[in-house]
Amino acid sequence: MIQITNVIKDYTLASQVYRVLNGITFTIPEGMLAAIVGPSGSGKTTLLNILGGLDSPTAGEYLLNGRDVSHFDPDEWAHERNHTIGFVFQSFQLIPSLSARDNVALPLVYRGVPARIRRIQADEGLERVGLGHRKHHRPAQLSGGQQQRVAIARALVGDPPVLLADEPTGNLDHATGLEILEILRQLSEQGKTVVIVTHSAEVAQVCRQVIEVQDGHIVTNTLEMEQKV
Amino acid sequence: MTWSDGFSLAFHGMISNKLRAVLTMLGVIIGVAAVIVLVAIGQGAASIVSSRIETLGTNVIFVSPAAGTPFPMSETGIIAHALPFSVQVVPEMNTGGKVSTLSTEGTAQIAGTTSSYLRLGGISVAAGHFITPQEVSSAQHVAVLGANQALNLFGGQNPVGSSIMIMGQQFQVIGALNAVGQGPGASQDNEIFIPITSAQPLFGTTQLSQMIVKTSSPSQANLAADYLTNLYTNELGSSSAVNVASEDQVLQTLQATRATFTNLLAGTAAIALVVGGIGIMNIMLVSVTERTREIGIRRALGATREDILLQFLLESMIMSLSGGLIGVVAGLGIMNLIPLILKTPAVFSPSALILAFVFSTAVGLIFGLYPAIKASGLDPIHALRYDG
Ligand SMILES: Nc1ncnc2c1ncn2[C@@H]1O[C@H](COP(=O)(O)OP(=O)(O)O)[C@@H](O)[C@H]1O
Ligand SMILES: [Mg+2]
Repeated sequence: MIQITNVIKDYTLASQVYRVLNGITFTIPEGMLAAIVGPSGSGKTTLLNILGGLDSPTAGEYLLNGRDVSHFDPDEWAHERNHTIGFVFQSFQLIPSLSARDNVALPLVYRGVPARIRRIQADEGLERVGLGHRKHHRPAQLSGGQQQRVAIARALVGDPPVLLADEPTGNLDHATGLEILEILRQLSEQGKTVVIVTHSAEVAQVCRQVIEVQDGHIVTNTLEMEQKV
Repeated sequence: MTWSDGFSLAFHGMISNKLRAVLTMLGVIIGVAAVIVLVAIGQGAASIVSSRIETLGTNVIFVSPAAGTPFPMSETGIIAHALPFSVQVVPEMNTGGKVSTLSTEGTAQIAGTTSSYLRLGGISVAAGHFITPQEVSSAQHVAVLGANQALNLFGGQNPVGSSIMIMGQQFQVIGALNAVGQGPGASQDNEIFIPITSAQPLFGTTQLSQMIVKTSSPSQANLAADYLTNLYTNELGSSSAVNVASEDQVLQTLQATRATFTNLLAGTAAIALVVGGIGIMNIMLVSVTERTREIGIRRALGATREDILLQFLLESMIMSLSGGLIGVVAGLGIMNLIPLILKTPAVFSPSALILAFVFSTAVGLIFGLYPAIKASGLDPIHALRYDG
């Protein structure tokens, strides 16, 4: 479960302060398939990076699975991401010099899992996303959809309860995007908390909770509306 | 991340661009090879001079020509006659060269001298006999082995009566010496003595390396040194054409030379290794920039700053240490060629080897630190956005 309260994020550029997030508060329950939507530049990526501890908020509270992570330092966050958060990016973010298998195994390296076990778990992960026959391919030898599957396998290999995806279908054609979305939907059904940043209405439609951000504020949160009704 | 994963990651980082890695290592390779070779030459040179002083006693002076001053055998009589008291004058010519038996080979300091060398003291015969006056006058191909040479070439067997090849010619071993002892002065143990009359055609010169003059007391030695200095200054019009030195003077010169040499060596090695280190730092900085996005990805997946630091630090250390290893191999190779090319002995020194390894590891550590800190300090968000 993700609970953030009054999160503020300021950027300083040329001694001018820009408020990108201005008091964001929401709760995403465990096992939810949630979408964060909004126009370009509205702060969606910044928000997702804060949820994953890649960026730190200027102010605000953050409870992740009931634990206060507001004041984690970068290395505590590294540990947290390694164990509880899987990341999927728009541009896949695979390491070009590594095979699909080695890319998938990467989070396990930082858990100190022995190489032999890493290989077995990475291969299982690739099988699960239908890429069992592409273990030894480099990212450049794979299509965009296949690369994103590798990235999802990598995000899942350590079995984290939370999955954060920043425009995961943004670089894919429509049909492939729907396939990736279906994988993410099934994961939420298996109990994982899945947060997707998107500006595709079609993607948002599949999600039970849709959080719309504009100018650093939340303008709609479908879950809250449901609960009020 | 486990240590073995860290090492394998760093190693793969290095071999993913082999040519670049080798070029980067070049500075360290040259630095380490230079240390080993220069130390070997220095040890070799020092061992010849100091051994004489330490084993020949305090009544001895050395007369040696400067480069270009003719110094043939006839000087023996001139020196003996110039002094108002009786002395022993022993001529000597030296060179480094290859020696071999049927089964082994090595290098030795070859000394051509006369039978009177034994009477200078300091050495004693363990087996057989020293060179005799008859063997000198008839230019016999006979040889007396220093203790180490006897051991190296014959492995503890009695060498007397065997044949050995010295600089391509066959010699009969007629004697072996007792060990002079340990320490930097033990180089007579590494020598092979042959009649000076056989040394002349073998070395291709009649020029003596030096004359050893033995007097009956240290004060007489100082007196003889003054006499001979005057003699040569008057005769040749220059006080530097022939160098006359009593033991005291030689010791002082030797110590000064050694100090200079050590400083020079340290300086050369330091410069080479710093240049090598800068090369490594430069390439590691390039590597950090090239792999900015990779660093961001690793951080996003759970690498701590320490994991990233270690990855890059290990890579620069492995690179530097590999350079050191190649440098050691190259240095030892060159060292073995020195007696053939420069005609001076080269003495291997284990401490140079240890020094080389310690230095190359330290270079990798010191010069790898800044790039590694830079890599570990990258902001993961910026690193993920970086497109390079
Ligand atoms: N490092 C930064 N420094 C300054 N401004 C930034 C930085 N990162 C993001 N921004 C600004 O924050 C705003 C929100 O960016 P972002 O979160 O990427 O929006 P979105 O993902 O919704 O398109 C943008 O106006 C962007 O220019
Ligand atoms: Mg964005």
